[in-house]
Amino acid sequence: MPSHDYESARERTESLSSRLVESLQAGSSVSRRTVLGGLGLAGGAALTGIGSADSDGDAGGGSTHGNFGAVGEYQDVRFDPHEYLTQFNTGESGQENVPQRVYEEDGRTVREFELTAVDTTITIAPGVEFEAWAFNGQVPGPTMRAVEGDLIRVQFQNLGRHAHTIHPHLRNLDPNMDGIPTNGPGVLETGESFTYEWIAQPPGTHFYHCHSLPLKEHIHRGLYGAFVIDPDPERVRENPRDYVNYHGPMTDDFVDDLVARAKTLNHEYAENDDVQELVMVMNGFDTNFDGDNEVYAVNTQAFCYGVGDTDGKGNWQPSPNGTIKPIQVDGQRPIHVHLVNAIEFDPINSFHTHSQFFDYYDHGTTLHPTDKTVDTVMQCQAQRGRIELDYSTHDPGLYMFHAHQSEFAELGWMSFFEVV
Amino acid sequence: MAESTAPDGQDSAIFGLPRWVAALLPIVLLGLLVGGLFATSPMADLDNRGAPLPDVTITHVTLPSDETIVLHAVNNGPDAVTVSQVLVDDAYWNFHVEGAGGDNTIAPLQSAKIVIPYHWNPGWDLGTALVLSDGATIHHDIIAPQVSPGLTAGLLWTMVVVGIFVGVIPILLGMLWFPFMRTMSSRALHGILAFSAGVLAFLAIDAGFEAFELAGEIPGAFEGTALVSLGILGALLLVQSISAWREGKAADGHDAAQSGLWVAYLVAIGIGLHNLAEGLAIGSSFALGRVSLGAFLIIGFMLHNVTEGPAVVAPVTQEERPAWWHFAALGVIAGAPVILGGWIGSLAYSPTLGAFFLAIGVGAILQVIWELRGLVAREGRVGTATNLLAFLIGLVVMYATDLLVVL
Repeated sequence: MPSHDYESARERTESLSSRLVESLQAGSSVSRRTVLGGLGLAGGAALTGIGSADSDGDAGGGSTHGNFGAVGEYQDVRFDPHEYLTQFNTGESGQENVPQRVYEEDGRTVREFELTAVDTTITIAPGVEFEAWAFNGQVPGPTMRAVEGDLIRVQFQNLGRHAHTIHPHLRNLDPNMDGIPTNGPGVLETGESFTYEWIAQPPGTHFYHCHSLPLKEHIHRGLYGAFVIDPDPERVRENPRDYVNYHGPMTDDFVDDLVARAKTLNHEYAENDDVQELVMVMNGFDTNFDGDNEVYAVNTQAFCYGVGDTDGKGNWQPSPNGTIKPIQVDGQRPIHVHLVNAIEFDPINSFHTHSQFFDYYDHGTTLHPTDKTVDTVMQCQAQRGRIELDYSTHDPGLYMFHAHQSEFAELGWMSFFEVV
Repeated sequence: MAESTAPDGQDSAIFGLPRWVAALLPIVLLGLLVGGLFATSPMADLDNRGAPLPDVTITHVTLPSDETIVLHAVNNGPDAVTVSQVLVDDAYWNFHVEGAGGDNTIAPLQSAKIVIPYHWNPGWDLGTALVLSDGATIHHDIIAPQVSPGLTAGLLWTMVVVGIFVGVIPILLGMLWFPFMRTMSSRALHGILAFSAGVLAFLAIDAGFEAFELAGEIPGAFEGTALVSLGILGALLLVQSISAWREGKAADGHDAAQSGLWVAYLVAIGIGLHNLAEGLAIGSSFALGRVSLGAFLIIGFMLHNVTEGPAVVAPVTQEERPAWWHFAALGVIAGAPVILGGWIGSLAYSPTLGAFFLAIGVGAILQVIWELRGLVAREGRVGTATNLLAFLIGLVVMYATDLLVVL
C-alpha cells in the first residue's frame, strides 16, 4: 500500500489555515471552518457524515444538526485495527505476540502457532473499555493463514479465569480436535494446555472461536478470529470441479483460469503480491449486560476506519493521533476483503459499499463468485466470505462502507476506503 | 470553668477533667479514630475489591432549540464517572460536557450538562443514553420534546403577569368578602374558619403527595423522601416556634401579639409558601416547554386561589378592622410568591428544589391549620357539625377547582 503521510498533511493544513486566519483576522468574520473549507486540501467525494464535525466547538458556519460518530479518539495503542487488517500469521511470518513456526512433517507442511487465552481490557470506542477474553490479548484473535492441505497445529494454553476451547470452522476429520466441551480434551481449565491439529481445508475465509458454555458469552467477550486458507493451484488443476459450482465442460482454458485465480489467492505465489488483502471481522459488544450490543464495529473499535474530523464537504483529516482514519487502498490494484461475522445477539450483519459493486465468494470456498455484482451482502452469525473490489475506474477519494443495518452503522460499524 | 457544677449539683468533672474537655473528648477521639483508619487501613482485608456501581441521574432535560438537547446529569455514586460517549436513538452522537471542570468526568455529587447538537422533531420521542467509560449506560427518554424557552426577560415578565393573575388578584378578590364576613354570626364565622382550614388541608395533602412523587426524581444521593420529610417538619417547627414566641409575648401582655391579625399574617405566610411552590411548578413547566398557559389554566388557578382570600382574612373578622394596608400586605405576602416561584422555577429548575419548596409549603400550612383550630377553640367548640361540614366543603371546593388546574 502506498504510504500517505497524514501527519505532515495535517501540519500543513494547520499552518496554512492559521496563516490564512491571521491574514483575515482584521475585521473579518470568516470562521476557521470556512477557511479550512476554502483551502480544500483533501478534496474528495461527498461525505455524508461521520466523525466529529464540530470538535472545536465552533458553531458558526457549519451544520448545527450535529453529527453522529464517536467523540474523541483512541488512546489505547495495544491493539491497532489498522495493522490488524493485514496481519497474517503464516508460521513463516506474522505478529510478534504470536509465537509461530513452519516445518515439514511426514511430507506435510505444518504451521504451528501458540495461542493463549487471557482476560484483558480492550477499548471498543474512544474512552469506553470492555472486559474481554482474548486470544493473545487481542480481539479479534490473530489471523492464521495456511495453504490448503497444510497441518495447522495450535498450542493452546488457557490463562483466563474461565474454561475455554478453540473450535475451528474447518473440515476437521478428527472429532477429538473439534474444540467442544463434549469431546477430545473438553474445556481447558485455567492453566491447562492442549495442542489442536487441524488440516487446512477447504480453502476459504474461515472462523475460529471458543466453544465453552455459555456460548454467547464466550464468543462475544472476544474469543474468536479468522483463518485464511489459500487454495493450492496444483490441487485446483487436478480437481477443478471442487472449486467451482459449474456443470459445463471442463476445458483447458477454464481450468487455466481457475488455476490463475487460485494463484492470486495463495500467499506463496507472486500473483498474490499485487492483491490488497484485508481481514475484517464484524463484531459487537454488549457493555451493559442487556443482551444487546452497545457497540458495533469491524475489528473491534467503533468508527476506527472513519474520518477523524470533517466539515461534511469532503474536507477531512484523521483524528489527531491517527487512530481514526480511513483504510487507504490503491485503486489500481485488486482488493480482497476477508469478511467474517462474529456478531452475537443480532442474527445477521451485513456489508455494503457506497458507489461500488463487488463479487462475493460465500465462505471463500469457490473460485467463481457466488454473488456477482452486488453492493450488499448479508451474513448470519459465523458466516464469512471473500469480497473482491475493483476501484480502478473510480475517482480517488473517500468511499464509505458499512453495515446496512443502519442501527449497527450508527453504533460504530461505519467505515471508509480512501482510494488513492 | 473547671469549678462549675451541673444543675443537679453533682461535680461535673469526669476523671478530674474540666467540663469543656469532657464535652470535646468524644469528638477528639472520633477524629483520632478516623485519622487512624485512614493511616493504617486495618479494614484492607475486608475489601473484596468490589467497585461501587456507577449511579448517575438525568434530573431533567432542557431543549433550548430544536437543534440542541441538554441533559442535566448528577453523579450520585461515590466514584467519579466519565461520560465517554453519548447515544441518541441508538446512534453515537457528538456532545460536550459543561460544568464538569472542562473534561467529561463528573465527580461525586457534581452535576453537569451534556450538550448534544441534534436536530430533533417537536413531539417525536427521543431516547438518549450516556455511555460511561466502563460501558455502563444511563438511559433517559425524552417524551414529546418541545422547545423550552429558558430564561429570557420576556419569560420573567410573563411570570410577573401570571403571578399577579394567579396569585395576587384572586386572593385580593377573596378578601372582598371581608365586609360580608363581618356581618356574620360567630357560628358562621367559625364555619368560615373551618372552611379555610379545609382549603389549607387540601393544599397540604395535594402538595404533600406531589412532593413525595417529585422526590422519586431526586438524585439518589440527596435522599428525596428524607429531604421532603425534613422540609415538612422543618417548616412546621419553624412556623410553630414563631407562633409560640408570639404566644409568649401575648401572655406578657403585648396587645399586638394577641390580635387575630397575627394569625392572619401566619395564614398569609403559609399560603405564600405554598404559592411559592405553585409558582415554581408553573415556572419550571413553562421553562421546560411543558405547558401551554392558556386562559383555561389561568382561570383554573384563579378559581382555585380565590378561596385563599377569605382564609387569610377570616381570623380578623371579629376584631376592629385593620388598616387597609394590612389587607394589601396580606394579599402580597400570600399571592406574590407565585411570581418569585415562577422566576426560580424558570431560572433553575430541579426536582430537588421543587420537592423541597413543596415540602416547606406543606409544613407551613399544617402549622396554620393548627393555628386556625386554636382561633376557633378560643371562643367555642371546634368539632361542631357546622365546622366539620365547612371543613369538608373547603376540601371539596379545592378538589373541584383543582380539576381545572392540570400542569
